Amino acid sequence: MSTFRYRVNTFIQYKDLIKELVSRDLKLKYRRSFLGYVWSVLNPLLIMIVMTVVFSAMFKRNIENYPVYLLCGRMLFEFMTNSTNGAMRSVTGNASLLKKTYIPKYIFTLAKVTSCLLDFIFSLGALLIVMVATGATFHWQILLTPLVIVQLYIFCCGVGFLLAQLHVFFRDIQYIYKAVTTAWMYLTPIFYPLEQLPDIVQLLIKAGNPMYYYVAQFRDMVLYGRLPGPRIFWGGWVFAFVMLFIGVWSFKKNKDKFILYI
Amino acid sequence: MGKNIIDVDHVSIRFNLASQKVNNLKEYAIKLAKHELMFQEFLALKDVNLHVKPGEAWGLIGTNGSGKSTLLKTITGILKPYQGTVKVRGQIAPMIELGAGFDMDLTARENIFLNGAVLGHSNEFMEEHFEDIVEFAGLGKFLDSPIKNFSSGMKARLGFAVATMVDPEILICDEVLSVGDYQFKKKCNERMEEMLSGGTTLLYVSHNIDSVKKLCTHALWLDHGEVIMSGEAKEVCDAYSTRQEQIFRIERKEKEVKKAQKPGNKYDYLVVGAGLYGAVFAHEAYKAGKRCLVIDKRNHIGGNIYTENISKINVHKYGAHIFHTSKKPIWNYVNEFAGFNNYINAPVAVYKDELYNLPFNMNTFSKLWGVRTPEEVKKKIAEQIAELNITEPKNLEEQALSLVGRDVYEKLVKGYTEKQWGRDCRELPAFIIKRLPLRFTYDNNYFNDRYQGIPEGGYTKIIKQLLEGIDVKLETDYETYVKEHPDSFEKVLYTGPIDEYFKYSLGHLEYRTVRFETEELEMENYQGNAVVNYTDREVPYTRIIEHKHFEFGKQPTTIISREYSEEWKPGMEPYYPVNDEKNNELFGKYRELAEKEDKVIFGGRLGNYKYYNMDQVIEEALLMAERELKRKILENYAGSKPLEE
Repeated sequence: MSTFRYRVNTFIQYKDLIKELVSRDLKLKYRRSFLGYVWSVLNPLLIMIVMTVVFSAMFKRNIENYPVYLLCGRMLFEFMTNSTNGAMRSVTGNASLLKKTYIPKYIFTLAKVTSCLLDFIFSLGALLIVMVATGATFHWQILLTPLVIVQLYIFCCGVGFLLAQLHVFFRDIQYIYKAVTTAWMYLTPIFYPLEQLPDIVQLLIKAGNPMYYYVAQFRDMVLYGRLPGPRIFWGGWVFAFVMLFIGVWSFKKNKDKFILYI
Repeated sequence: MGKNIIDVDHVSIRFNLASQKVNNLKEYAIKLAKHELMFQEFLALKDVNLHVKPGEAWGLIGTNGSGKSTLLKTITGILKPYQGTVKVRGQIAPMIELGAGFDMDLTARENIFLNGAVLGHSNEFMEEHFEDIVEFAGLGKFLDSPIKNFSSGMKARLGFAVATMVDPEILICDEVLSVGDYQFKKKCNERMEEMLSGGTTLLYVSHNIDSVKKLCTHALWLDHGEVIMSGEAKEVCDAYSTRQEQIFRIERKEKEVKKAQKPGNKYDYLVVGAGLYGAVFAHEAYKAGKRCLVIDKRNHIGGNIYTENISKINVHKYGAHIFHTSKKPIWNYVNEFAGFNNYINAPVAVYKDELYNLPFNMNTFSKLWGVRTPEEVKKKIAEQIAELNITEPKNLEEQALSLVGRDVYEKLVKGYTEKQWGRDCRELPAFIIKRLPLRFTYDNNYFNDRYQGIPEGGYTKIIKQLLEGIDVKLETDYETYVKEHPDSFEKVLYTGPIDEYFKYSLGHLEYRTVRFETEELEMENYQGNAVVNYTDREVPYTRIIEHKHFEFGKQPTTIISREYSEEWKPGMEPYYPVNDEKNNELFGKYRELAEKEDKVIFGGRLGNYKYYNMDQVIEEALLMAERELKRKILENYAGSKPLEE
C-alpha cells in the first residue's frame, strides 16, 4: 500500500506541473495569432462548412441536420487523433528534460491529452453556434455529454500511453499510426450514416470500433435527444478502461528503459 | 550506514550501444537477424560505491565520458541502476542542466512557474518566492520577454535562481556555472557556500579542480565508469591533476611524433635491415619524433628472428631462437611488445642409440656412468683427465679432453663439433673451446639467465609492433635504394654486413653458416622436445628443431627442421661471425673505414661482426638510440611496471 501512497503523493506533488504544461500548450498554440482562442471555435466551424458543402449533396436525404451530425462526429474524432498523436510524441519530445531531471514520465503524456481535452471543450462553442444557427432543439440529455467526454478522455489516455512508449523504441510507429487513423476515420460514421454500409461492415464497426461508441452516444445526447442504449453506453466505459489498462501496463513495464532510447 | 544521506552500493549502469541506434523497425529486424541486438553493451558505471553523510560536499572529477553525469543521474533517479542499489534520504534539487525544461517561446515569468513545477514545486510556493527569484536572476525589464531572446548567461542565471531558491537537502550540480559572467559566478558561489553552511549536502561535478578543492570536502575520481580514488578532496584532486598532466604530456608527445611522420618529409633515418636491431632503433627514433624508413632485401621483416606461421605453428625460419636475459630493463622492454610463455630450454643429445640431457649436468653423468652424487662425478672426471696427462693442449681435441675427460668428449662433444666446423677436432685450434661448463646439479635448464621464454604468437609479431607507424620497404637493396633516392634521408643505420657496405674492398669477412631442411610431418609429436642435438659424426645434421614445442603446441601435425652446418662461401647467408685473429683484424680495418662515415651508423650482428644474443641486440640498439637521439630510454624500463612517457 505504501507504494500506492507514494505514487499518489508524487502525483499531487507534480499536479502543478500538469497544470503548467497544459497552460503552456494552450498559450503557445495561439500566441501571436490575432484571434487567439477564437480559433478553437472558428477552426472546426470553417472545416465543418467546407465538409458540409462537399458532403451534403451525398447524404442529405438520409440525415437530419447534417451540419450538427457532421460536427459531432468530427470534433470527437479530431480530439482523439490530436490527443493520441500528441501523446505519442510526449515522451520523445521532452527527451532533453527527462534526461536532465527526474519527473514521472507519464506526466507529459497525461498533460498532452489533457490540453487536447481543453482545446476540445473550447471548440464545443462551435457546436453550440451551429446548433443555434440551424435551429436545432436543445434536449436535456445534452447535459449528460460530460459522461461521454470522460469515457473518451480515458480511452485517449490509454491509447496515448501505449503509443508514447512504443514511439520511444520505434519511431516508425508515427507513420503507421497516421495510416491507421485515416482508415479509422473512414470506418467511423462521421460524415456518412452507418446504415449506408454493407451489413457485415456495420456489424464489425458496431462490435469493434470504440470511436463508434463515443460518437453514437454523443449524437444521441446532442442531436437526437435520447439516452444512449445500454450496449453502447457500457461498451464505451469498457473500451475506455481496457485501453487505459493496456496503455498503463505497457508504459509502466517499459518506462525505466526510456532513458536509454531517447 | 543509517546516518548516510546517499548510499550508492555496487552500482553498474548498462547502456546497450547497439539498440541505442535502432530507431526503426527495419533496423531492428536486420539487427535481430544478425544477432547484434544484445551484444554491444556498454557499462557506463562499474561497481561504483559512494556513501555521503549529511552536510558533506562531494566533488566528482574525471575526464569527459568517465561517468560523472551518469552517476548524478542515477542518484537523481533519472537512470535506474542495472546492478546495485541507490538510496537517497532527502529532497534533491538537481541542477544537471540549468533551465532544463525552459520553453524558449514562453516568457521568463511563465518559465519560472514551469521550471518550478518541473522541480516539483507547487504554484503557491512559486508565487511566494517569485520576487526573490526575479531579484537573484537580475532580470528586471526582461521578465515578460520570451526567453529565446535571452543570452545563455541570462538563462543560466534564471535557472540557477529557480533551482536554488529553497535550501534543498541535497544539491546536485553538474558543471552548470561555466556560462555567466564573473559577478554571477561569484553570486552563485556565495549562494552555494551559504547553502553548504546551512547544512545542504552537495554533489558537484566540475572540470575546474580549483573550484572542487574550494567547495568540496570530499572527492570521487571516476575513470571509464570505475572509481579510481575516493576520499579527502585535496588528496584526490592532487592525484587527479598529476595524472592528467602526465596524460597530457604523453598525448602532446604522441601528437608531435605523428606530426613528424608527415609523408614527403625527408627521412631522418634510413634503417637498413628490418631485423631486431633495426626495428628497435627505428621504434625509438619514431617515438622521439624522427621519421624513419626501414628497408630490407628479404621479402619479410624480422631478419633472422623471423617466424612464419605454417599450419598454425610458428616456425623459426632461421634457426631456433629462445629469448633469455638477466637484465630486467630488457625483459620489461620486450614484454611491452609481446607476452612471453614459460618455455625453458632443456635440450637433449642423441649419441647413437643413447640419449643424454644437456647441458652437462648430474642427469647426464648419471646416465653415462650410473653414478649418483656430485662427488662421484668429480672423482670420475678427474680420473679420466689424469689418465690422459695433457699439459699443453695443441688442438681442440686435447683442449676438450683436458676439460671434461674422455667419455663426455667422445659421446657429446667430438662429433657435434666436427660437424659444426666441417673438420676433424684434431685439426681445429684449441681456442674455440675455452671452457666446457659442467653442472653438478640435476638442472636441465640450458641457460643461467633470470628471465627466459618464447613470445606468444611468434617473434614476427614483436617486430611488427616495433615497426608500427613506420615506413617499411621490403625486397629493397640498400645500394639500389640510395642510387634511386639519394637525398631522401639524413642518416643511415646500417645493420647489414660491414664488408658488403664497403664493397669487400679489403676482402671478405668469414662466417659459419647453417642450412635447414624443414618438413611437415603427419604426426602430432616427433621427438618430444624442441631441441635434440645429434652428437655422433655419422648423422649428417647437427640437430633437429621441432617448432611446436616452443609454444607447447597441440596442432595435429608437426614441423621439424634438420640443421646442417655448412662451409661458408661468399654470397651465402651469414650466420655466425668467425671471430678468429684473421677475421678480427680485417674487421678492425673495416671499422676504421666506418669511423670516417659520419652519416652512417653501423650496428647489429653483421654491422659489428659480433655474435649477439637477442637481449644483447636489444640492449645495443637501445644504447645506440640513447646516444643518437640524446634521450634516456633504458632507465624508463628499470621499474617492475614500466610507465611509458
